[in-house]
Amino acid sequence: MMDKALEVLERRLSRQLAASLETCVRCGICADSCHYYLADPRPEHVPAYRAELLRRIYRRHHDPVGRLFPGLVRARELDDELAEELIKSAYGTCTMCRRCVLNCPMGVDNGLIVRTARGMLAALGRVPKGLQDTVDVHLESGNNMAVSEEDFVETLEWLEEQLQDEVDDPEARIPVNQAGARVLYTLNPREAKYYPLTILAAAKVFYAAGESWTLSTRAWDVTNYALFNGDDEAAREIAGWLAQEAAELGVEEVVMAECGHGFRAFRWEGENWLGRSYAAPVRGFVELVAEYIRTGRIKLDPAQNPEPVTYHDPCNQARNGGILEEPRYILKHAVADFREMHPHGRENFCCGGGGGMMAMGEFAEGRLAAGRVKAEQIRATGAKVVATSCHNCLDQITELSKHYDLGIKVLNLCEVVAEAIILPGDRQ
Amino acid sequence: MEALRLGVILAAGVCLVGLWLRLRHFLSLPLARDLSRARGSARRGARYALTLGMMPWAKESTRKHALSYIRGVVFHLGIFAALVALVAALSGARPVGGSLLLAEVLVGAGLVAGIIGLLERLARPDLRALSTADDYVAVLVMDLVLLAALAWLRDPAAVGWFYALAIAMLVYIPLGKIRHCIFFFPARIFFGRHFGHRGVLPPAVGGGEAR
Ligand code: SF4
Ligand code: SF4
Repeated sequence: MMDKALEVLERRLSRQLAASLETCVRCGICADSCHYYLADPRPEHVPAYRAELLRRIYRRHHDPVGRLFPGLVRARELDDELAEELIKSAYGTCTMCRRCVLNCPMGVDNGLIVRTARGMLAALGRVPKGLQDTVDVHLESGNNMAVSEEDFVETLEWLEEQLQDEVDDPEARIPVNQAGARVLYTLNPREAKYYPLTILAAAKVFYAAGESWTLSTRAWDVTNYALFNGDDEAAREIAGWLAQEAAELGVEEVVMAECGHGFRAFRWEGENWLGRSYAAPVRGFVELVAEYIRTGRIKLDPAQNPEPVTYHDPCNQARNGGILEEPRYILKHAVADFREMHPHGRENFCCGGGGGMMAMGEFAEGRLAAGRVKAEQIRATGAKVVATSCHNCLDQITELSKHYDLGIKVLNLCEVVAEAIILPGDRQ
Repeated sequence: MEALRLGVILAAGVCLVGLWLRLRHFLSLPLARDLSRARGSARRGARYALTLGMMPWAKESTRKHALSYIRGVVFHLGIFAALVALVAALSGARPVGGSLLLAEVLVGAGLVAGIIGLLERLARPDLRALSTADDYVAVLVMDLVLLAALAWLRDPAAVGWFYALAIAMLVYIPLGKIRHCIFFFPARIFFGRHFGHRGVLPPAVGGGEAR
């Protein structure tokens, strides 16, 4: 019965994974790099403890001592009890933020280990329902919220009118399916369904920059929750749609909307899932906006954002994606009072909303408890606005604000930029 | 004594063969290649991971737990010194003067660090939960070797104990976690290459820094 899970382990057992499985010395120094441990210092919240669960199975199958004297190295077969423990550990108390990885003196990649465990559980059909549903809906409908093409187009048409009003230009467009555009922009279905104003904000930035861009009605969802359920087949299929659409439209680059995990999945993992390189390079919206400012394609007035603003680095974009400087560069141009959290950048704490956690209601209590670390970081800045660059972070921090009474507003960077933008006609 | 001496040499052979078998298993696995376009440099990341990235100030964990870090370094220096002492004993040499004093200090400090490590593992509930029997055995074996090395440094008559415990250690190395002595390097290199490729490491001067 557990064979499928073991097959996944065998298939994914690369030298990288084996090195991480072999090298941990159980020193425990990674413990307080994890927000779960800081919020609730239980042994099960030590990052290495989570990894040990998979290591036990690895030892049973790949370590001579684990085969002959399992008790000496706590090797054991995967059974129902261990699978249950793995679910609670790998899905329930780890956001795959990989903060512990940066802090391990040995270089053990607990994030890789946890994702492998998730992949094994996915093969057993034991992904928590909310997360699995998100992936299934994406596979069935082409986006993770089952937004129909009709509704999507209608929303974009309405937004185009809003854009024309806002920039006072009847020629302003939200282009769709434009072959040969320079940029293919992607969206989070959440934007199309609940937060269309973030699409408007991005459109305003593209308008001000005079960009040649397009959206697609065929493949437009920036997300890929298969990064989190651990199912590589599903991840490959979802990444493949966007890669194919970019190739068919012949764009020069794909720009990912502000979605931390979507960026990591498509920018960094997608080509490895597909086993081939994309036709066009991929960038995050934040990288593009920073370039617009640097090259003078857009001008910003920081006085339009007078309140103190701090920035939350989405783990998947910063620590796992290398986007560290750009958000700061943007905010220094877009707001009057920018304040850093400590620590920040690559060492930033996860807000608690990563790893697909927002889709797994059964773990909400632990998610909010673990978010205390982030809440305290935010409070210490005295900021009234938290800018971020990820919809999951945005949702989690909004919930944290209510839960911990932070009294803050949470915005995606594009909204902050759109507020400060000086439209071409107003530049005198 | 000659039998024990030969035993150590034989055990060293067993150790090397055991490590080679582990390494062969490791090398039989596929190397996951990263097809994504680089933002930084994998090579620079790896270099950083093996040099400045190992410094205590490079990571929050070692900044926060400087004492644990120092304990670990002292323990490993002690082990290294004990191994040098073992080679010296096998070849009939013996440190004298300043080098004897240095060896005694390193091995003695390593022993103290090792004992503290063992006690810490026994005392802390989170470390106990994390530990396998191997974690205790491995440190205990190393502590005993350090003790025997120190005894031999102070009194050549202890060479029998030194050899006997060295045999136990050498046989145990490929079986338990002490084999991290070989896997540490690929793990660190993979870590550095991965984050270097993504432009996350080495840290750039300027924004995005933690401190
Ligand atoms: S993952 Fe790294 S820091 Fe954590 S216990 Fe293992 S070796 Fe130590
Ligand atoms: S990846 Fe993040 S959440 Fe998971 S164990 Fe490491 S620090 Fe904790």
